[in-house]
Amino acid sequence: MSTSEPVVVIENLTKKFGEFTAVDDISMSVDRGRILGFIGPNGAGKTTTIKILVGLARPTLGKCTIAGADCVTDAKKIKQLVGYMPDKFGAYPNMRVREYLDFFGAAFKIPPKRRRNHINDVLEITRATYMQDRYVETLSHGMQQRVGIARTLLHDPEVLIFDEPANGLDPEARIEMRELLLRLADMDKTLIVTSHILPELSRICDEVAIISAGKIRALGTLDEITEQLGQMRMVEIELRDASDVSKAVSVLEENVPGVESTSSESEKLIRFRANLTEEAMQQLLASLVNGSVSVSQFHEVQTDLEDAFLTVTKEDRAKMV
Amino acid sequence: MFQNPIIHRELVGLLRTKKAIAIQVALVFMFAVLVILRWPVDPTSDLDGVKAMQVFRLFGYGILSALVLFIPVFPATSVVRERHAGTLALVLNSPLTSLNVYIGKLTGVMAFVVLLLFLSVPSLIACLGMGGLDLTADVLPLYGLLLLTAFQYTTMGLMVSCLANTVDSALRITYGLVLLMSILVMGPHLFTQGTDTWVADFNGWLRCVSPVPAVMDVLGHGDIGSYGLGSNENSIGRYCLIACISSIFFVGRAISLLNFKLFDRARSQGTMTHSLSERAQRFRDVFFMGMDPQRRKSPIPRFVNPIIYKEFRSRRFGRAHWIVRMMAACVIISVALAIASTQGSEKWGPEIINGIMANLQFGLVILVTPSLAAGLISSELESGSWRLLKMTPMSPFRIFTGKLMSVLVTVGLILIATIPGYIVLLQVQRGLIGQIGQIVVCLVLTGAFCFALSMAISTMCRVTATATSISFGLLLLIFAGTFLVWLGRGSPFSNETVTTILTINPLATAFGILDVQGFAQFQNVIPVGMPWGEDNEFMMPVNWILMSILTVVLLVIITVRLDKLTKPE
Repeated sequence: MSTSEPVVVIENLTKKFGEFTAVDDISMSVDRGRILGFIGPNGAGKTTTIKILVGLARPTLGKCTIAGADCVTDAKKIKQLVGYMPDKFGAYPNMRVREYLDFFGAAFKIPPKRRRNHINDVLEITRATYMQDRYVETLSHGMQQRVGIARTLLHDPEVLIFDEPANGLDPEARIEMRELLLRLADMDKTLIVTSHILPELSRICDEVAIISAGKIRALGTLDEITEQLGQMRMVEIELRDASDVSKAVSVLEENVPGVESTSSESEKLIRFRANLTEEAMQQLLASLVNGSVSVSQFHEVQTDLEDAFLTVTKEDRAKMV
Repeated sequence: MFQNPIIHRELVGLLRTKKAIAIQVALVFMFAVLVILRWPVDPTSDLDGVKAMQVFRLFGYGILSALVLFIPVFPATSVVRERHAGTLALVLNSPLTSLNVYIGKLTGVMAFVVLLLFLSVPSLIACLGMGGLDLTADVLPLYGLLLLTAFQYTTMGLMVSCLANTVDSALRITYGLVLLMSILVMGPHLFTQGTDTWVADFNGWLRCVSPVPAVMDVLGHGDIGSYGLGSNENSIGRYCLIACISSIFFVGRAISLLNFKLFDRARSQGTMTHSLSERAQRFRDVFFMGMDPQRRKSPIPRFVNPIIYKEFRSRRFGRAHWIVRMMAACVIISVALAIASTQGSEKWGPEIINGIMANLQFGLVILVTPSLAAGLISSELESGSWRLLKMTPMSPFRIFTGKLMSVLVTVGLILIATIPGYIVLLQVQRGLIGQIGQIVVCLVLTGAFCFALSMAISTMCRVTATATSISFGLLLLIFAGTFLVWLGRGSPFSNETVTTILTINPLATAFGILDVQGFAQFQNVIPVGMPWGEDNEFMMPVNWILMSILTVVLLVIITVRLDKLTKPE
């Protein structure tokens, strides 16, 4: 479904609050129908960037456009183009879900007849039809998240921006949320999703941007990010005999000087990170076998988003210290 | 008892708040200024202690108004805030009983009250030093009454806090009850005193629900608007009796509510009428007069500001059936009063009925308007829905007009519902048309001012409870607090000072128009030439001009704040 046409474009975006730089010269773009995972630690600049994108904040420098509309000068157009779900739901007391959606539909000037159909459609898409008569403040967090997404879809925006949609959801609700986001991408919507629950993002995102201390540290697909970060390979050695653990560690240290490893006798497991070539890996395995270490498994652990994220934030934390 | 950790936490927590510090500083400052103003500087000695008594009276009224206006805020928010924060569940899950928790909260607030009373002791000693005051006859009865008042209002606040669902609704209900229990209950007595009917007797008791007559009695003052009539009523005894009985009720009700039942409430399943039986549907149609809130509504019409709909739908009593009921009640009360004026004794003439109706209308406006307007913006900021509103294509002007109309329609409908009563009154006495017209102007200006003040505060606060308490506090200060100065008319305040201070109070202006005893001479009016009629000069109350200017200034502030809030950060 996706095309290579960029819908969201951010160019040299900077936002300063007095002396503090919240967003520092970031640039990126998202193509139509793609899902961008926007991750970073607390205070990294995610929400500030999103607020600028949706027109709730002004940039100090730089430019952002959505479907060609400037986020600063075309504020009215941006409202029609973007569906934004903030991290806070924004419930009105004593209002039923249908009335709540009807209000926002009317605020977006959708004619009553069309609005009624739209509400039915968005409730159907978000699988929230059964809760249409419930009061919004009595809904569980997961239900509120679905109603929040239904609200963002009401005016049929091209771009959907969700701030922490999986936050506070139980595992089942997270799976449902993931499926919902994929359904929206299938509808040719462009999605920007922030989340702290990284495995969720790694499963659904086409691209990931890692932001830390206001700067984009990595951008691209998960594979590209791994390459960009020059991450070390993580290897796991499983042993048959727990008494071999110390022997295996000494063989490892002989072959890979200065290696950082963790070992567990109870689990009969050694885990280490190293920048090894295929030949070096073969050499290490041979040394272990020749040293009479009872190796039952020797394999590389797949790098995930969490590893990439930790690599970036670890570097930044080290700089701050 | 002092091993109760709740007492420690409540008192220390209270003393750490900015509100508590502000109250203490303001009181100490006020007491000091009062003593300095009346401290004898001339060589003539004040043997009968008139000056000391003048200061002592203001002292009493000052402390009373501080207790009534500010103290209920603390207990009113105490339980409901903890319930929402989740700490009440933790406390109830500990070995502490409901009684321990209640006593802890009550003692915390009462200890603060005692502290406030202690702050007045240095100034009081200065008063005693001026001579003419008696410790046992004057000082101790006053302090006893003040402690009883504080106890009554604290227990009332705690009960409301157990009953309310949100912090701001607790504040609204509490201030409503404060207004009712301290001011409005005195109203009917003004019009029936001196008569010998059961209604007059009842009103005599009703007025003693308020601590004001009892405090006035202790301080040697007469009644408010007492037409020079002496009263044999023992207002101190009556008040003590009523305060004790009501406090016992408040305590009992609060303790019965303060348990796990507070949390054992199922989430609403959103039952709709169409899923009920035929019989139940018919019953609901009749009960809700065809405006059943559980029937699905048609979409918001195309050319109507959606904010108006949203405001009505999200208010607890904003649904059409509630407004119709409230209007019906107003129509019935106003017509009943008007009919009473045609059939009753001479004492219940149209002038008195007109006065009672005006009082009721002012009470409604002062109570309803801030409770609607104080949360208009702050509740949106608090819940995070303001950000969602900003993401819609609605302009700040549209948002403002929607919110304005939602308050205007509610208050307007309730006031319009009292018109049938006026029509009946005018049939009885056509000469009242001028007086009624002026009262209506006062009411409209009061409504506009209350709305503008509450909404302006709402645009400056991020928490609805704060906006509500500040709004009610300021309005009660203007509408009830200025009467304290009136009580000190002649001495220590000159007539000019009283007239100037009362200029800000539209209720005092209305009393002046209605010729209520004690207010006619304090009318601050200016002659205005009128282009019609033989008598082409009209005495316009300065209050009307003042209220108009203040309202316009507040509307400008609202516009500026809304513009700022809707702009990107």
